[in-house]
Amino acid sequence: MGYAVSDPGTTRAPSALAIKILIAGGFGVGKTTMVGTISEIRPLHTEELLSDRGIGVDDTSGVESKTTTTVALDFGRITIRDGLWLYLFGTPGQDRFWFMWDELALGALGAVVLADTRRLQDCFPAVDYFEQRGIPFVVGVNCFDGARRYEPEKVRRALGLGNHIPIVLCDVRRRVSVKEVLTTLVTYAVKGV
Amino acid sequence: MTGEDPGPLIRLYGLTGGRARPQGESFDLMAIVITVGDSPQPGDLIPEHRAVLSLCRRPTPVADVAAHLRLPINITRVILGDLRRDGLVSIERPRPVAQTIDERIYREVLDGLRSL
Repeated sequence: MGYAVSDPGTTRAPSALAIKILIAGGFGVGKTTMVGTISEIRPLHTEELLSDRGIGVDDTSGVESKTTTTVALDFGRITIRDGLWLYLFGTPGQDRFWFMWDELALGALGAVVLADTRRLQDCFPAVDYFEQRGIPFVVGVNCFDGARRYEPEKVRRALGLGNHIPIVLCDVRRRVSVKEVLTTLVTYAVKGV
Repeated sequence: MTGEDPGPLIRLYGLTGGRARPQGESFDLMAIVITVGDSPQPGDLIPEHRAVLSLCRRPTPVADVAAHLRLPINITRVILGDLRRDGLVSIERPRPVAQTIDERIYREVLDGLRSL
């Protein structure tokens, strides 16, 4: 593709567009798995340097196995075409990294709040965060093996969500399921439905 | 990236002369970096600078540059700020989402997702 680069100082149409989507939710709810399931690349890894940084392994095998977390940013990419991408950022799962959410949320198209019905309360902070900032979000109820199946309306009541906010039952390990969550979010964020 | 060896940190800040913040206007993770095509490359560039200039011949978001360099975001930002100051890259500020996603892009994104 010929990306003609003109004078750097001149105003011109953007050469490319990277759309940011956040994947939020409680610790160990499957954010990293979701990104990995849909990303065309192995999730890319970078991090912020902090004086007080946590270093650990972020797996999703179970909440019990999580002892530490990182301020690593793991993100995935979906290329729609040359010069148009979706980037999926898993948000840091610990409260002490809230400051990073502000940066991540800036300019984001919207967010997926992943919920685990065994610990619905874990996604309250994410719901509050996006509601307060007016960032469009959908709730993905991750149906783990062995997790109780909930009716979406029960989840809506439990989370105190307005009727307009989409709730999608999903399995973050399955591509078709993650696609549905993302198309729901994009439509909701752009069209409001 | 495990353990508490301070060596990598020292090396990283060596890349930036100890600076933690980039030169000039700040930029977002999704800002698009483009190598300025016609500027001659100085001969004394460090490998990280060369890597950026090579990668960003195609427009590349800041986050991807960081991952490609295997460097933390804030170190990457300092490097990019230096390259911008020297006129070697331009960094496009992302516009508000509502202004960028028109009907055509919305359709492209939906179709793209469905065809994955």
